[in-house]
Amino acid sequence: MRLFSFQSFYEKARNKEIVAGLSLISVAVILNIIFGYFAMIFAFYLSFFKWDYIGEMKFVGLQNYRIVLNDIFRGLKGAPYLLAPFYTGLKNILIYTAIVVPIQTFLAIVLAAFANQKIRGQQFFKVSYFLPATTSSVIVALIFIWLFMKNGFINYVLTHTIPGFQPIDWLNDRNYLLLAIAMVAIWGTSGHFMVSFLAAMQAIPKDIYEAAMLDGAGPIRRFFYITLPMLKPMITYVVVMGTIGALQMFDLAWVMAGANGGPGGAGYTVALDIYNEAFTRIRPGVAAAKSWVLFAIIFTTTYIFQKKYGRQER
Amino acid sequence: MTKFKKKIWITITYIVLITFALVYLMPFLRSIVASFMTWEQASKYPPEWIPNPFTLENYRKLFRLELFPRWILNTSIYAGIIVAGNVIFSTMAGYAFARLKFPGRDAIFSALLSLLMIPMFVTLVPNYIIIYKLGLIDNIFGLSLLGLTNVSSIFLMRQYFLSLSNEIFEAARLDGCGPIKAFFYIALPLSKPALGAIAVYQFLGSWNAFIGPLIFLRSPENFTLPVGLTFAFHRSMWTEYTPIIAGSLVASAPTIILFIVLNKYLIRGIVITGGKG
Repeated sequence: MRLFSFQSFYEKARNKEIVAGLSLISVAVILNIIFGYFAMIFAFYLSFFKWDYIGEMKFVGLQNYRIVLNDIFRGLKGAPYLLAPFYTGLKNILIYTAIVVPIQTFLAIVLAAFANQKIRGQQFFKVSYFLPATTSSVIVALIFIWLFMKNGFINYVLTHTIPGFQPIDWLNDRNYLLLAIAMVAIWGTSGHFMVSFLAAMQAIPKDIYEAAMLDGAGPIRRFFYITLPMLKPMITYVVVMGTIGALQMFDLAWVMAGANGGPGGAGYTVALDIYNEAFTRIRPGVAAAKSWVLFAIIFTTTYIFQKKYGRQER
Repeated sequence: MTKFKKKIWITITYIVLITFALVYLMPFLRSIVASFMTWEQASKYPPEWIPNPFTLENYRKLFRLELFPRWILNTSIYAGIIVAGNVIFSTMAGYAFARLKFPGRDAIFSALLSLLMIPMFVTLVPNYIIIYKLGLIDNIFGLSLLGLTNVSSIFLMRQYFLSLSNEIFEAARLDGCGPIKAFFYIALPLSKPALGAIAVYQFLGSWNAFIGPLIFLRSPENFTLPVGLTFAFHRSMWTEYTPIIAGSLVASAPTIILFIVLNKYLIRGIVITGGKG
């Protein structure tokens, strides 16, 4: 630190800035080092140990990762869900992500495009669509349990809007549980992303639209040839954030399916499995290994997607 | 485009927007109505819309249960600490990262940002162990430690301070105003909109938080509202469902009211963090 040996006024002011800067960031940095970096490294370390939180930690090498792999292989061979919980969670969460992310992104864009016109009540629509996103997913799930009951409101609406629809016991039927959770998730988050899209749309320069209008392009053409291409960075962002969120889904499954994933494990997720591994089966090492596998999955999917479509960004 | 075509287009727009507004609002409307019904009426098929008899029994049941007011209090304390922590520490850090020069600044900042990529489930078990070793399990303050600062609020504050003009800080420096003084007298007073955004954002996050409170809190009297309500639901503390609905409405009332009052700021905050993440 050569700087400190100079005594000119300029240097002194500079030192002041260094001291001030470091002390202003200190709390945030220390907390993030402990609960972020240290925890992350500790999780990695933990994933090579067998432990029960109290006794001695026993080094087991890659044993915990073998447990995860065996689980996946067993599941691929068709083992029931209790014998292959991680596989069940993984399968469910991939199906869930494949349903939720495209629909919520599509819905968010379409609603934003409609709301982005010169219409009265834009504020009202924005608030209505966003409202679910401000409410706790747990509370939302509790309300939807009631709405999804066999004699509930959703079955009532569906039987009266879709001809030939038979009431479904959504939450107790293994074929529909995950779909019900996905519907709640779409309802809960699409409005949030709709606001993001609306903001991005309003940032598109107006003269591009005016030029297109002079060339005789109607609203639908303008949407496909101007709006969509201009939204590409925002679409990438929404898909990536949506995927990260969906792959870690916990709250909705916990409430709507229960900690064990409901009938036949139809609502079991990887996040539930990590929770159970750490706090029910008391195997923190296995939980840590599973969380690293989840991280690897999230990282590769979002990385590949960003690489493929996110070039424009920055 | 002809006038006729335009009219059709506007009609379609309104039909779509109103239909979806109904879809998004219906669960809330339905719950509000049902919270004043007996469970017998609320579970009727086809659904009924007018509470008959109109009853406040569901709300009374909630507050007769000693735990429910405790849960409200706990959630408020937790949210208060998280909001205060973020407003203080994230603002300080955001200002330093945006406005001050010190060695390692950019490296430290990008190190913080890369934490955003780490899923919370990776750090969950180790953080549980850290808090456990500190003897702070089942303690709202132990839980709060984890959320006192937040990388996204630091990021938001930094973006905001970067957007302020240089001149005012230069002028202050020439007048002999040190970096800390400049923070309190110039940066802070100017940062109200951004502070509001992170405060509201953190309030929503902490008020609604579930997995943290679920893991770090143990005894029912220490629960926050979301954990308490699922506990009440899973333990079948009420045989009817209507008190759960009423409880859900009470639990979400602060966030809903806050959002309706402040939606402009909140949406702006989401746009700032959302667009640049």
